[in-house]
Amino acid sequence: MSEKKFMKGNEAIAEAAVRAGCRFFAGYPITPQNEIPEYLSWRLPEVGGSYVQGESEIASINMVYGASAMGTRAMTSSSGPGISLKAEGISYLAAAMLPALIVNISRGGPGLGSIQPAQSDYLQATKALGHGGFHAMVFAPNSAQEAVDLVYQAWDYAERDRNPVLVLMDGCLGNIMEEVELPPMKELSDEDLPEWSLTRRNGRDYQGNITPIYTEPILEGINAMAGEMYKAWEEEDVKVETFLLDDAEYVVVAYGIASRVAKEAIMELRKEGFKVGMIRPITLFPFPKKVIHDLDYTRVKGIIDLEMTIPAQMRDDIALQVMERCPIHEYGRSGGCLLDDEGVYDAIKEIVTGGVDNG
Amino acid sequence: MKTSFVFSGSGGQGIMSAGITLAQTAIMMGKHATYLPEYGPEQRGGSAKCTVVISDEPIISPLPLRCDNLIVMNNLAYNKFEEDLKPDGVLLCNASLVTNPQQRDNITVISANVDDLALELGNPRAANIILLGILIGATGIVSKEAFQKSLELKFGSKAPEILQMNLAALDKGYNIGIQHKA
Repeated sequence: MSEKKFMKGNEAIAEAAVRAGCRFFAGYPITPQNEIPEYLSWRLPEVGGSYVQGESEIASINMVYGASAMGTRAMTSSSGPGISLKAEGISYLAAAMLPALIVNISRGGPGLGSIQPAQSDYLQATKALGHGGFHAMVFAPNSAQEAVDLVYQAWDYAERDRNPVLVLMDGCLGNIMEEVELPPMKELSDEDLPEWSLTRRNGRDYQGNITPIYTEPILEGINAMAGEMYKAWEEEDVKVETFLLDDAEYVVVAYGIASRVAKEAIMELRKEGFKVGMIRPITLFPFPKKVIHDLDYTRVKGIIDLEMTIPAQMRDDIALQVMERCPIHEYGRSGGCLLDDEGVYDAIKEIVTGGVDNG
Repeated sequence: MKTSFVFSGSGGQGIMSAGITLAQTAIMMGKHATYLPEYGPEQRGGSAKCTVVISDEPIISPLPLRCDNLIVMNNLAYNKFEEDLKPDGVLLCNASLVTNPQQRDNITVISANVDDLALELGNPRAANIILLGILIGATGIVSKEAFQKSLELKFGSKAPEILQMNLAALDKGYNIGIQHKA
């Protein structure tokens, strides 16, 4: 049973979270993600959940930490500057091996940046969401519908891995209204509570979900387990879309909103006979290494890293797979200037016709 | 067929609401639509803009650089976005506040004093609906009946006279718009 609605990306994320079983939200306002807390402030009480507008980002992420320790499906959302403030708490969640959904609806940076959309947080999301060398799985939807689908699955991954999941989407997609088909409400009972949750003690006298300072060598073992988990993600959990790759001489790599603008441009360029294709990472971590690595570089003449940020942030991840077998070009807009159909079409065309070499 | 609309003006002029209602109506008619709002940090008085794309096919990119139809509510918006209108496009001006439209011979210009017309209806806040009525009459992008239904959904829970006033605003605009139909 599903239903179609015309919703903002932010609202779609909020409703999908509720339907995925989220029953706790804590956060602090920031543009361009405010529709998420606004929506959940009335929606969560309707389903018996709790909504808290925290006194700060730091308080909010720590409330998520507490709720998650109880086994509750818990989330927070913010934008770049607020995610930076939450970094400590996210790192603590990873240390405590607790699931949570963190949503970053990104805007221009660094610093306070701008309130306009930008894809400026790729590096933060994929390399260091906080201190200590941990990773979260990072989903990067490119439509309200895909945001719904990924948020709906988020806790399945987070609880399986006992690790936070991040959804990274730019402010453009957060604020665009488009049609979405909503999945049915997951009805979770106490039986579905994770075995480790404080709520479900299973006769244990003590269950420690808030981690202390470790003495050696316990932490080393925990670090090694995390390392194995990240490797397993690369084998099992990569999500990627490819578009017109089979004969492509130029391959655009783009995620989120950039991938939609790119697709439109590629379709136009194909009509003119230019062999351009696209690789769209849906998981930014684990990064879709293999599909980039395995391209036929006797045919592919160039990679185009297209992002709504300057300089491009995916470039190093791409370069590790391209291994200097072809040039990597980049095109982007930033600081509140959005990518647009004509600009991206012109930029790709200039590259494929040999006008520019950023390699 | 993919058609793009930019609605622009200042905060408080019903720009966002106009865009959403048009997009919702298109979806109600079985088309596809996206709506993207863009605004500054101001709550009132700053620049407000939204882009609506309507298509019979699913919409891939919601970010056209230039639009087929530009709706401007004041001089600020006109000066900022006029160059984003495609050749052969339609420029729809609130003549009550857009006082200096330049002549461009490759576009169709429709001007109406929608603020004054809204005052005649007794509610200055209806200006955006009059403008939408003109747009619908002139372009036929959605049917008048479907738009009436959108207004019923939007205002159905409010006092009946609010709905009646908005329906009257739609009629007033529509009758102007059909005179400009290509």
